[in-house]
Amino acid sequence: MMTGRGEPTDDAAVVRRMAAGSEAALEDIYDRYASAIFAAAYRLTADRGTAEEVVQETFLALWNRAESFDAAVGSLAAWLHTIARTRAIDRLRAAGRRPSLVALSSAAGSNEDHTQTLERLVSGGAVMAGAQPPASPEAAFDSAVRHETIARALAEMPEVERTVILLAYQEELSQSEIAERLGWPLGTVKTRTRRALLRLREALGTEFGPAAGLDVIPVPAGEDR
Amino acid sequence: MSSPFPPAKIDKDTMDHDAVREQMELAAVEPHGLERLMAGDTPTAQAVAGHLAGCSACTEELARLQRSAVLVRESVRELPSPDLKARTLAAIRAEGVLRPLAAVAGASSAGSVDPGPAAATPSLIPASSPLALGRRRRLVPVLGWVATLAAAVVLSVLATSYLVGSRVDSQLASQAAAIKGLQKITTATLTVTAQPDAEHVALASTTDSEVYGGITYSPSTAELVVVANGLTPPPAGLEYRCWVEVGGARQRVGKMFFNEDLAFWVGPAPAIAGVSSGATFGVSLVDAAGSTVDTDPVLVGEL
Repeated sequence: MMTGRGEPTDDAAVVRRMAAGSEAALEDIYDRYASAIFAAAYRLTADRGTAEEVVQETFLALWNRAESFDAAVGSLAAWLHTIARTRAIDRLRAAGRRPSLVALSSAAGSNEDHTQTLERLVSGGAVMAGAQPPASPEAAFDSAVRHETIARALAEMPEVERTVILLAYQEELSQSEIAERLGWPLGTVKTRTRRALLRLREALGTEFGPAAGLDVIPVPAGEDR
Repeated sequence: MSSPFPPAKIDKDTMDHDAVREQMELAAVEPHGLERLMAGDTPTAQAVAGHLAGCSACTEELARLQRSAVLVRESVRELPSPDLKARTLAAIRAEGVLRPLAAVAGASSAGSVDPGPAAATPSLIPASSPLALGRRRRLVPVLGWVATLAAAVVLSVLATSYLVGSRVDSQLASQAAAIKGLQKITTATLTVTAQPDAEHVALASTTDSEVYGGITYSPSTAELVVVANGLTPPPAGLEYRCWVEVGGARQRVGKMFFNEDLAFWVGPAPAIAGVSSGATFGVSLVDAAGSTVDTDPVLVGEL
């Protein structure tokens, strides 16, 4: 099992290089798994700050305990997810909260089928929810593909547009607050926000097709109301 | 990209398609923005609602926008912040174990760690740290030493020039000696590093973290440069003596000279000729009149 680039058999070699002190190897592992770990932690805690702390603690644990990783026992992805889940549960307990219920359909990582996802979650003691799949048309989408589509579109768009979208969705800032934060005119923020949203919708429309109902309906021609 | 997004014309009675869509798109990105817009409790919201009531295309666009906004928001919120990687690496640098030292110890004891090709990349441990015991770092660190020494020579020459122009005293002689020593180290370092088999090994103190150093050598030519920082000058009757230990037997190399805070030895060292992995280089404080170097090392590194 794996997520992101690289092969599963690469993981053991990269961990060995990291154990030998290679920061490049650590970054390689981060690039492979950090997004999936963050997403899983966020789904469990419903808090971005806590999820980021879980990611940091997970990779710190990986760095400190690299020698204890045994590829014959389990995959690196499963090992990291187990650490992350333990850290997330610890934080929730400390805050007097219960973990969010995890729907199987929403817990799947990239390149994971449901059996692999179930094994990983059960091995980590996850609380599974008997939730119904998302309603149509979202049911038509594989959440991992959508996730990657959005991530790729964000990576490819101009930085100024990516910035406003991240501030809006991740930090939940209003356009006025974004303008104040960045020192940009409000009109500039609005223009860049609309362009960024259009790019994301175009990416979704291209990936999933017109039937998904996510692309833009053109302005009616010949009308002026 | 298709629309240049003309400025919205907000008039609650005559709002056109573009203006309505601008309001909807901006609301879709705001927290609960579409809900607030649809509540219709502002003049703009009322104008949008009025337009939607008679425009099926914009009503369908609103439905599509609502669907896509939910998916985009969900996906974007599950992406880690762009700076999380840098913050995570910084946290590991600050709180993580001293991995290179642990790796060297683990490799020598269990033979279970394969450094691999990436092991020579910059580690989390500062290159100058004494904790980078036995870690071989070629070219860049060596050139760093050379650059540092060259800079010191230049500064010393400038300082000496000033002194020559102003006054001649004992400080001038001291500066001249310092320059000579630094020139010797610089020249020798450049000579050794020009060899294709040149190696650099960090030396770590066994007792004092403020003391550290390094050696640069060529097994084929047996030329050796030893530099150490933080050593206190030896008491009378004692000296710092370098040695190479192979198979449990130590061979004397040379006596460390002092140049301000820098201790060094430069020259040919037959003991280092053809040396292979497994040998140890050390510096010990020994009796200046004696011939043994069997005391505990103050600096040590694995070749």
